[in-house]
Amino acid sequence: MKSSIKYIIALVLFVIVAESCRKPEQLKEEDHNEYLSGGSQTVFDEGAGAFSNSFMGLSPKNEFNHGVGDGIFDRTFVSAPSPVNPGLGPVFNGVSCASCHVSNGRGHTPAPGEQMISLLMRISVLGENEHGGPVSVPGYGEQLQQRAIVGAQPEASVDIQYSYQTYSFPDGETYELRTPSYTLQNGYIPIPSDIMLSPRIAPPMIGLGLLEAIAEEDILARQDVEDVDGDGFSGKANYVWDVVKQKKVIGRFGWKAAAPNLLEQAGFAFSEDIGITNFIFKKESNYNPLQGNNSSDTPELSDSLVHAVAFYIKTLAVPARRNIDDPEVKKGKEIFKVAKCSKCHVPMSKTAVNVAFPELSNQTIFPYSDLLLHNMGSGLSDGRKDNLAEGYEWRTRPLWGIGLTKKVNGYTHFLHDGRARNFIEAIMWHGGEAAQSSGYVSQLSKADRNSLIKFLESL
Amino acid sequence: MKTLKYTIALLALCSIATSCKKTPAEEIVTPVSTDLNAEILSSISSNVAEATYYDLSVKADQLYAAVQKFDTVTNDVNLAVCKQLWRDTRAVWEQSEGFLFGPVATNNIDPRIDTWPVDYVALDSLMNSSVVFSETYVNTLDDALRGFHPIEYLLFGTGGNKTATQFTAREKAYLKALSVNLKNLISQLWVSWDPAISGNYGANITNAGKPTSVYSTKRAVYEEIVNSMIGICEEVANGKIEEPFAAQNPLLEESPFSYNSITDFTNNMRSVQNVYLGKYLVDGKGLEELVRVNNLSLDASIKTKMNAAIAALNNVTVPFGQAIISQPIQITNAQNAINDLKTTLENDLLPFIKTSVN
Repeated sequence: MKSSIKYIIALVLFVIVAESCRKPEQLKEEDHNEYLSGGSQTVFDEGAGAFSNSFMGLSPKNEFNHGVGDGIFDRTFVSAPSPVNPGLGPVFNGVSCASCHVSNGRGHTPAPGEQMISLLMRISVLGENEHGGPVSVPGYGEQLQQRAIVGAQPEASVDIQYSYQTYSFPDGETYELRTPSYTLQNGYIPIPSDIMLSPRIAPPMIGLGLLEAIAEEDILARQDVEDVDGDGFSGKANYVWDVVKQKKVIGRFGWKAAAPNLLEQAGFAFSEDIGITNFIFKKESNYNPLQGNNSSDTPELSDSLVHAVAFYIKTLAVPARRNIDDPEVKKGKEIFKVAKCSKCHVPMSKTAVNVAFPELSNQTIFPYSDLLLHNMGSGLSDGRKDNLAEGYEWRTRPLWGIGLTKKVNGYTHFLHDGRARNFIEAIMWHGGEAAQSSGYVSQLSKADRNSLIKFLESL
Repeated sequence: MKTLKYTIALLALCSIATSCKKTPAEEIVTPVSTDLNAEILSSISSNVAEATYYDLSVKADQLYAAVQKFDTVTNDVNLAVCKQLWRDTRAVWEQSEGFLFGPVATNNIDPRIDTWPVDYVALDSLMNSSVVFSETYVNTLDDALRGFHPIEYLLFGTGGNKTATQFTAREKAYLKALSVNLKNLISQLWVSWDPAISGNYGANITNAGKPTSVYSTKRAVYEEIVNSMIGICEEVANGKIEEPFAAQNPLLEESPFSYNSITDFTNNMRSVQNVYLGKYLVDGKGLEELVRVNNLSLDASIKTKMNAAIAALNNVTVPFGQAIISQPIQITNAQNAINDLKTTLENDLLPFIKTSVN
């Protein structure tokens, strides 16, 4: 899973000449090279390994750390006390980071008869915990583990059923939306009737360090919680508990922006997804007293290796766009704007100055996200509060690299639970404040729809 | 561990453009003819990828048949046949790892047949349990409990000298279910490339540049291929060899029971060679033909370095798990030779592709 190619773009953005000298804040989207989605951390790789390139220009030491993290990301954990890579489970969702984030890409919904691997269930019961987050389900915790090591029992299994409904565009072309319903079965103890489920599919790993490097005030500047400007789009930051800092901070990652940073996201995933305890999340995810307990454990992964994985994730480059000069792509980009998709999928952001980490510092990037929560409508709601995010609110998904999903992962299962099987379905699921965008698209001609898709494919 | 390579000094936005024309001199290259281009891609798809996967499926079938026979007539002769067929199947699989893109990755075949390490603790529990080893059951097992390495463990045992009399009935039942599971997954892999079946992955390669292909240009396919060659060099030199070597820990060896690791690595290098030469069982057109149109010295350099990598691995004369302790110089030389090849593929072949193919 190691594609290792890269080109360094020694990107010299000397946009400063006397007569056209402008302050960086005044630069507009069109003043930048749109190929360079990840700024100087853009990689010209459009192959199956496009999501697996490291940052360029890392020092040998940092490159080594990236490599160590890569090794851990791919590491398959097995039952303790095996001599190599012990600590899996006893209950878990996946055996390695890479088993869900295949090729550092997007997960998929299970085919009939296939194990549910890259889709998981966050769970809770009504209320708020002491930090304003979801309340753990007694006996089950915050996440459902539907797999277990040999000899142990999974918490429960998940049955997924889809209902299908066909819609048509004015020109007669049809599209089908599938609506999932989830049923928990075979609980190791009775499953509480008031359990709430939030399905989440594994997201791609690219450019996360750049997103982490965007200044908090820049994210907040895009908030418009009460829609004061009256454009129909709000935008709200999530605030979540930072376990390391022991205080509330802005949430940036995950489908609900409920993870404060990459280190905690990684630590949480080790603990909850794989059953690997660590210095941040010290407790086993298992609650079944017959197979261990939920108490604190000696960390199963050393602190330095957790940091190495977080560093690996932080330093994954973003693939360059393709075909930006194609007239159809240009037209699609215009439609994207006119349809107001770019109100939330904000194309351009800038990372903060960080002299300690020049690769992340002061980069103009094109993630196509404002990193804020938006009302996506009842159709997509999981009916469950996650910190400040209501059930119908989801963080704007960055779109960079999305056009390579098919090649990297073979599937294009979009949205938080992978229900959309292509771009059109994903767009047409947009409700709530995004309904004006999907409504606009629903009235487009076939040619314009194709242009819009061409544009998305170029990202 | 992704190392970086070329600096494309992209001064595109340099607004002092008039005084800034120091872009690298464009090499004058003869465009490769459309026909040759198509022939090379078609050959790499059919003569290398399809041929390898077909052979892999044949070998996996033979392995399963041999395991069935061993189950019926459990003696050392039949066990030896199984062990040899495991090596034969493994050899083909390792020769496919130079092109680990497409269904092998996206259909999740690779982790299901070649996950390392083996979950010994769980395996022991299974042996002591009463579960019935069917293929359906094996399909529900975690990746570390199926595929090449659990089969290797059962066939060879620790120490590599397991005899027929040491097999329990449950071990044989598990071995049989594992072998049929391996055979079926490999069969799926072959079917995904089988030219007789519509939607086969090879069509993406031969139709590159057309809307039906996931590759928007022929160049994108070439880049995919070269990147995969680079990827396996990286993995062998700096993963499969480096990790056990740096830790001086034989437990981290990939194929420890059969003592097959050096052979695995060598076959990985052969995979790179096969793609370059367009050759698996018979010769065809490969990247070689493309390079030779414009750059004979690059062609010579790549061939020399591929041979050097294989030769350096052959200089390791004891099993890998021992060699990391007793033959550090040979191990280092092998790593260096593979990294040298990788550097040429990265710094010379890839840029060559970018300028030679559209």
